[in-house]
Amino acid sequence: MKWLDSIIEGSTRSLARRSSRRGFLGGLGALLVGAAALPLLPVARGAERAAAKPAGTAADPGDPATCEYWRHCAIDGFLCSCCGGTQTSCPPGTEMSAVTWIGTCHNPADGKDYVISYNDCCGKSQCGRCFCNRNEGDSPLYQPGQSNDYNWCSGNSSANIPYHCSTARIVGVAE
Amino acid sequence: MRFSGSSLWCRAALLAAMMLAVPMAQAELPSDIGLKPENVSLPPMSKHWVWVNDMVFPHMSDGQIHLFDGDTGRFLGMVSTGYSGHGVLSPDGKTLWSAETYFSRHTRGTRTDVVTVYDTSSLKVTAEISMPPNRGSSIPVVGVSGVTDDGRFLLTYNFNPAQSVSVVDTRANAFVGEVETPGCALVHPSGPRSFFSVCADGGVMTVVLDDTGHVVSQSHTDPIFDMTKDPVTEKPIRIGDVWYFVTFDGDIRPLHANAKGVTALPAWPLFSSEEKKAGWRPGGVLQLAGHAGHKRLYAIVHQGPRDSHKDGGRTIHVYDLESHARVQTIRTQHPVGVIAVSSDDHPLLFAASPEATDLYVYDARSGKLRRTVTEAGTSIMYLNTR
Repeated sequence: MKWLDSIIEGSTRSLARRSSRRGFLGGLGALLVGAAALPLLPVARGAERAAAKPAGTAADPGDPATCEYWRHCAIDGFLCSCCGGTQTSCPPGTEMSAVTWIGTCHNPADGKDYVISYNDCCGKSQCGRCFCNRNEGDSPLYQPGQSNDYNWCSGNSSANIPYHCSTARIVGVAE
Repeated sequence: MRFSGSSLWCRAALLAAMMLAVPMAQAELPSDIGLKPENVSLPPMSKHWVWVNDMVFPHMSDGQIHLFDGDTGRFLGMVSTGYSGHGVLSPDGKTLWSAETYFSRHTRGTRTDVVTVYDTSSLKVTAEISMPPNRGSSIPVVGVSGVTDDGRFLLTYNFNPAQSVSVVDTRANAFVGEVETPGCALVHPSGPRSFFSVCADGGVMTVVLDDTGHVVSQSHTDPIFDMTKDPVTEKPIRIGDVWYFVTFDGDIRPLHANAKGVTALPAWPLFSSEEKKAGWRPGGVLQLAGHAGHKRLYAIVHQGPRDSHKDGGRTIHVYDLESHARVQTIRTQHPVGVIAVSSDDHPLLFAASPEATDLYVYDARSGKLRRTVTEAGTSIMYLNTR
């Protein structure tokens, strides 16, 4: 769609979709300092067992395998739903990062804002499918907890660094 | 060379020349085996060289830095930089350091973090300095690693997710130690023995080292930047003793920085209030560039909402650093999100897009496109010039 690119500068948005990438969470200290208004839930969130949750329902509308899915408002990476996993669980053979970054996304179904934890799945090379970068509320690397430009496959004992894909897990309703 | 249908004389002359050339064409070529040297030497170093940091996002464990000559567009060679490599040139340009991460089984196994030392005249590895495996992995912005002004200590940002900075002695080629920087990120050199990091609360931590690379002092300011209302990006540029930060909404927030600490200089806008209302803002990955001698600041700009702060654009505004006036506008044919300017008196402006493979070379003063270098990289995120 190169013709579209020539119409408006805004079309360069697609550029950023690929240019920012890795997101993770910031150090605990940064989170405590910089994200006081948000729940301190993202840290160590990945150790929980992810329950399969239906998507594409009236309450959770949209396709998790698309960038437009409402939970993806601050995601940066390959969608695990396209990589053999789901929006809440990692593909086979990968491990969920224990630390992550968060965003606040609006669910069009119930009109509420939700805190979303974008736990990365780690331990294999990049999935390479369904790359998506949206930056609603994204912060600079100086504020790690809300920055999607870190590689959050960090700090796990057995999945330290190699990034595979990103999930989008509901933490709760934003207050 | 073209001939008209009536230029029979020319055709005859060409035929005669070909006949004369036949004996030469039939001569056997000499063997290349044993020919010395077997490696091409690099030409003399030029201020118009550019080191293109390629994150290779689809295959991040195969990071690369490509070297091009901006005057010819010629690809001169490359180095392999592993996972999340980040290049830093020495002040004299003779050395390229790259902080790199490796795994013993490619994507698993024992993790090793190193600073690899490359000789820029040969592109060979001359040393490898092991560090504790705590490097952060992120988009390769300017503060991922840096070097003190005299080239003595290389500084790399750690994030696991505890935050610290590793200090490497480039004279001894040895790891010195880690400086804890809780709540503060990245490294911005501010002298021969000092650097600062920007903290999540908008304050700044200044760290002063001694001649062995160990901490002499660490100080923390009150918030300087409003990281809630209009944060500064982590994409500043340094010109002399001033680091020029830019906010999401397009205000330049300069910091004078040295070993004594930082001083906030008066802010100034990239846009008029009308332009801001129309959505103009800076964007991109390496979105600012500067030229100290000409006192110029270059900024990639576009129109978009707040969350488009990483988007590139087709417009580069040029500002006078003294008057803060916009003195030039460069329109690019394609969207760009990465720019850098050489420091010489006839500077080149290099521009690229992380999602494209071309490198555009402009005359930085006239804004005219001098050449397009194709196949310059896969995910071009960062450029080193000098």
